[in-house]
Amino acid sequence: MSDKNMIYLHPLPVRIWHWLNALGIITLCLTGVQIRFPEHANIFGSYRSAILLHNTAGIIVALSFSIWFFYYSMSSRNLAKIYVPDAQDMKRGLLRQVGFYFFLYFFGRPNPHHATPDNKFNPMQKSAYLAIMFVLMPIVSLTGIFLMNVSPLRELILAAGGLKTLDMLHYLAACSLGAFLFTHVYLTTLGHTPLAHTKSMWTGWEEEEGEVHEETEHHAGQKV
Amino acid sequence: MITATKQMVLFLALALSLAGWTAMASASGPGYSFGAAEGKNGNCLDCHSASDKVGSKFFIDPVKYRHTNHAKIGCPACHDDSVAAGHPAVKKASVKSDCRFCHTDIAGDYAKSSHAGKTSCNGCHDPHRANTPAEISGYDINRMCAGCHDHYGITASHAKWLPQAELHIEMLPCITCHTGSKNYVINMYIINRKGIPHLGKFEAAGYDELKRVAGGKEILSLIDTNGDNYISLAELRNFNTNSAHKGLHLQGMMTPETVTHSFQILDNRRDCTFCHASGPGAMQTSFIAVPEQNGTFRKVAVEKGAVLEALYSTPDFYMTGKTRNSMLNKIGLLIIAGGMIMPVGHGFLRYLSRNIRNRKEKGHE
Repeated sequence: MSDKNMIYLHPLPVRIWHWLNALGIITLCLTGVQIRFPEHANIFGSYRSAILLHNTAGIIVALSFSIWFFYYSMSSRNLAKIYVPDAQDMKRGLLRQVGFYFFLYFFGRPNPHHATPDNKFNPMQKSAYLAIMFVLMPIVSLTGIFLMNVSPLRELILAAGGLKTLDMLHYLAACSLGAFLFTHVYLTTLGHTPLAHTKSMWTGWEEEEGEVHEETEHHAGQKV
Repeated sequence: MITATKQMVLFLALALSLAGWTAMASASGPGYSFGAAEGKNGNCLDCHSASDKVGSKFFIDPVKYRHTNHAKIGCPACHDDSVAAGHPAVKKASVKSDCRFCHTDIAGDYAKSSHAGKTSCNGCHDPHRANTPAEISGYDINRMCAGCHDHYGITASHAKWLPQAELHIEMLPCITCHTGSKNYVINMYIINRKGIPHLGKFEAAGYDELKRVAGGKEILSLIDTNGDNYISLAELRNFNTNSAHKGLHLQGMMTPETVTHSFQILDNRRDCTFCHASGPGAMQTSFIAVPEQNGTFRKVAVEKGAVLEALYSTPDFYMTGKTRNSMLNKIGLLIIAGGMIMPVGHGFLRYLSRNIRNRKEKGHE
């Protein structure tokens, strides 16, 4: 039987941020569907309720994003280390991780990545989060702020190419984040138990099975 | 019997002729006749088109008056010809018939509306520059309302329930919500900055400035480049992306297809989906209001679907939910479907490979 080593992977601020984001983003997706397709989806009673909820959730997620950014870049000072793939990741790690997820996993081979508090994410996670946190989230938040304040920000909206450009960027970025959500939730089930990663994001402690040899001892999945 | 009928007709004809001659004699009284057929307004306008003669209160702008239907029927249609007796020493306004005499239907609508008793036709309309609904832009409609309804007060009262109230009030004619209409169309007009270059507020562009931009040619030629009096989507895109027109923007307003005077507060307008839900053929019809020299606008039809296009036909006109672009909807759906590949595809292979993985795991244990 395997040993059970526990590592403290997710500090409290990160967990609060994660679940706040999760609630906010799910609310934004559902209200967003009603706002864009009101004749097909009436989830929150009235269109006005959907708008008010969307705006509130948007502000919370945008603030939460700002807090995350400052926490990692100012306080934790390991933003780049955690989120930006290094040369080794790009040269070898990324392909190795893709090979694991899409091939070796089905043969019961272990995950080549070993998560530590300073190196939480595998190269695939790093690439995905880089695109999400540094491209999609800023786009969706900024365009959302513009769309919420059309009259006061009229000049900037015209300079950006008009309302339709902003709406298109907001919508496509939101769809991309929505698409990622499915993959993200699915990949959380690839731990040694289907809920292992979800539990660790709730408690902060990640359970490791066994030790010594990375190739054989690590559980199969790491969430993206 | 036939003879008696003929006699009656003859008598009536004579009576009418006599009445006509009497009226003409009276109308061409001492120097202040309303003029003959073509120039029914001529004599009046000799004085009333000069503010220094009659003062600003009685001044009639001849350019803005002449194109109106009121000018066609002439001053005596509304003003009693008794004005001639002591005029101009007698300055009493002489009214022979009021608006209801011709505009019976409108008067009926109005009498039942929430404006009834609060103001008369003149409270909103100057009869000497009355334009038809087709001759005004949405911007002008709200200027009439703003005569009584304070912009800030109205914005504050709407903000109690309406998200982005200021935007709605700027971008919609009040009558879109406050009168009933079965259908709505999009009316666009050209705006540019007023006052300080690059910083001034955007307002409706006037005839003279647009004429200058058009290099003295017809203003419509700025958009309708082939001169067929119809604006295609390609022409619209070209106008919006042409760097020569950088300072000009098209502002759109959702306006009732049929304008009525049945002013009221309609509860269904508080349901945002009245405007923000798309339906079959929604927002397919649009026009561009081009300013004319006489202060009116000429509405020129635009190819169907302009406001539904993704970007360049109307880059700054977007009604959430209503004018969404169907191609973007499909792209969004594809992106989300892409996100399902991992759970569905990987999940399926994961299920198929469960025995292999279980054996391997047991082997490790």
